[in-house]
Amino acid sequence: MLDSIFIFSALALSLGLILGYAAVKFKVKGNPLVDQIDAILPQTQCGQCDYPGCRPYAEAIASGEAQINQCPPGGQEGVDALAEFLGVETLSLDATHGETQPEHVVFVDEQICIGCTLCIQACPVDAFVGASKVMTTVIADECTGCDLCIPVCPVDCIHVLEVQPTLNTYVPDLSEVAHA
Amino acid sequence: MPNQLGFDGGVVIPNPYPVEKVEIIQAPLPNQVVLPLQQRVGDQAIPCVKVGDRVLTGQEIATTKDSFCVPVHASVSGTVIAINEQVIPHKSGIKSTCITIESDGKDEWVKNPGCGPDFLHCDTSTMIEYIRISGIVGLGGAGFPTHTKVARAQDCHTLIINGTECEPGVMCDDALMQYYPREVIRGVEILLHICGASRAIIAVENDKQEAFNSLLMYNHNERISIVHIPTKYTSGAEKLLIKALLGVEVPSGGFAPDLGVVCQNVATTKAIFDAVVESKPLVSRIVTVTGSGVEKPNNFEVRLGSSFDHVIAMSQPNKRSHDIRMGGMMMGVDVKDGKVPICKITNGIFVNDQSKSPVVQECIRCGACNQVCPVSLLPQQLYWYAKSENTDKAMDYNLADCIECRCCDYVCPSHIPLAEYFSFAKALHRKTTDDQYRTDIARERFEFREYRLERNKQERTEMMAAKKEELKKKMANDKAQKDKVAAAMARVKKSKKASDDA
Repeated sequence: MLDSIFIFSALALSLGLILGYAAVKFKVKGNPLVDQIDAILPQTQCGQCDYPGCRPYAEAIASGEAQINQCPPGGQEGVDALAEFLGVETLSLDATHGETQPEHVVFVDEQICIGCTLCIQACPVDAFVGASKVMTTVIADECTGCDLCIPVCPVDCIHVLEVQPTLNTYVPDLSEVAHA
Repeated sequence: MPNQLGFDGGVVIPNPYPVEKVEIIQAPLPNQVVLPLQQRVGDQAIPCVKVGDRVLTGQEIATTKDSFCVPVHASVSGTVIAINEQVIPHKSGIKSTCITIESDGKDEWVKNPGCGPDFLHCDTSTMIEYIRISGIVGLGGAGFPTHTKVARAQDCHTLIINGTECEPGVMCDDALMQYYPREVIRGVEILLHICGASRAIIAVENDKQEAFNSLLMYNHNERISIVHIPTKYTSGAEKLLIKALLGVEVPSGGFAPDLGVVCQNVATTKAIFDAVVESKPLVSRIVTVTGSGVEKPNNFEVRLGSSFDHVIAMSQPNKRSHDIRMGGMMMGVDVKDGKVPICKITNGIFVNDQSKSPVVQECIRCGACNQVCPVSLLPQQLYWYAKSENTDKAMDYNLADCIECRCCDYVCPSHIPLAEYFSFAKALHRKTTDDQYRTDIARERFEFREYRLERNKQERTEMMAAKKEELKKKMANDKAQKDKVAAAMARVKKSKKASDDA
């Protein structure tokens, strides 16, 4: 009787110590769920979801605060992907947050730019190059097409440019492929 | 060397449009040429001429620094009349920047540097540079820049010259070997010198006896051997040719130079001879024009940038409306009309009478495609993944190794355009990978910006606090200031006392 109590107490104590040590040693920093949701979001950082960027929105989804259908750049495909990942019923994209735009970037009409730097401050991914009172331009490769710079420009010199497929990025249409 | 030269899979396709005698006809100078700046791989070349400039044949008109790209040369002498977007032979129909030159009919050549006939005295890097500035790319159809290929294959033991020309109906390499055997053999010697390989094997399919004989007649170099390989479609694919000749398999994702082997097309070899010995850049090529829509299928040596119609008109096309296809009947691409220019990779032009394409039916899982796949893939399985846009899964089944030879299409009883699906899945996978890469960069940049803004804020608070502290210290140390404060305090005390007393 005493033997068994002793054996089980020792076992419980040692296992408890191992678990306690593991909890400290292998503690996961941050919320892995947020990272996984963030990986599905398009990283446009446009704020149309009412959160200041994709990561804050991911955090809001993870905490159950926001719906999964608030991201227009991700489109319906993005909503479906989120629903599949979270194991919930999919929703249709909430139109109050905006519509899905075709893939695009912005460019600055450099003749008109007055160098006010407002666009530089508005850009969530630092895609603008410029300084006070000098011409500003966009690094097209870094632009996510969030359009946050367009309303802040006082002289309306920022324009949208749709991304056209090139010979290297061309993907044929599946319906055409089927009847080739 | 194994007794049985060959590889698994592939199909034997008889030449649908045989000719009695293979010839090369010199095509007349075109009135104008259109030269695309974007080639099959690499960046777009940058024009170095303006509209209105007079250019000479062989003059460099667009330059590049990218090692996957080569310069573009004027293929006729004349005037640059336009630098604009034009349709080029590509299945997408996307327009690309081209330089248009109007010929003056004089064909005046520019003087380029070269090694001359005594090329053995030139060092390797000089010769590779001559190959680069002559704009030579793989003329078999892949269009990979030759200078990059040979520069990376410096320690090879075997050089394979691909004279198989397995595409049924195309006969431009056959003609080249028959009529330019000296140039081909000299070109192989130049390549042997550059790569330092101990031997070269010229592989010719056994239905090209004439070509084989003429090469044998001109070959006096014991390091070069000429071999026959069985006539079977896709024997011309680099990895399969290596397997057939040497019995070794290039691993998935690997390249021939990993095994100490380098492959070149026969037409490329002749172009190398022209560049190094004759100082002539690549401004013309031999094109086969064939198909059911022409009376006299033949080969034409034509300047690059001439329109398809320019050579089609010389092979007596019938009056019906035609479907035009660039390349072979198997691996070629359909083009919308005959106005597109001939480029470096245009080895053949198929002019076929318009006919109804067979109705595509459902896959019946017969597995015929699995039997013929020369690279041992499972086309049937890949088809389902490609159709459902599940590119990750398709990639797990080694879609990247597919050479899009269309053997599977050829045998499919349901006429499913399988290779078309695979090409689509590859393009889609490339696009998703690119998009993912861009997304990751955007995330990184956003997070760094957040961090930077936070850091700036903190730095500012710290700076303000430090300044305040410093001011306090300064006040404390300064004797005069201290006295002033003490005096002021005394005054306040005094006046307070006075008011209290009152």
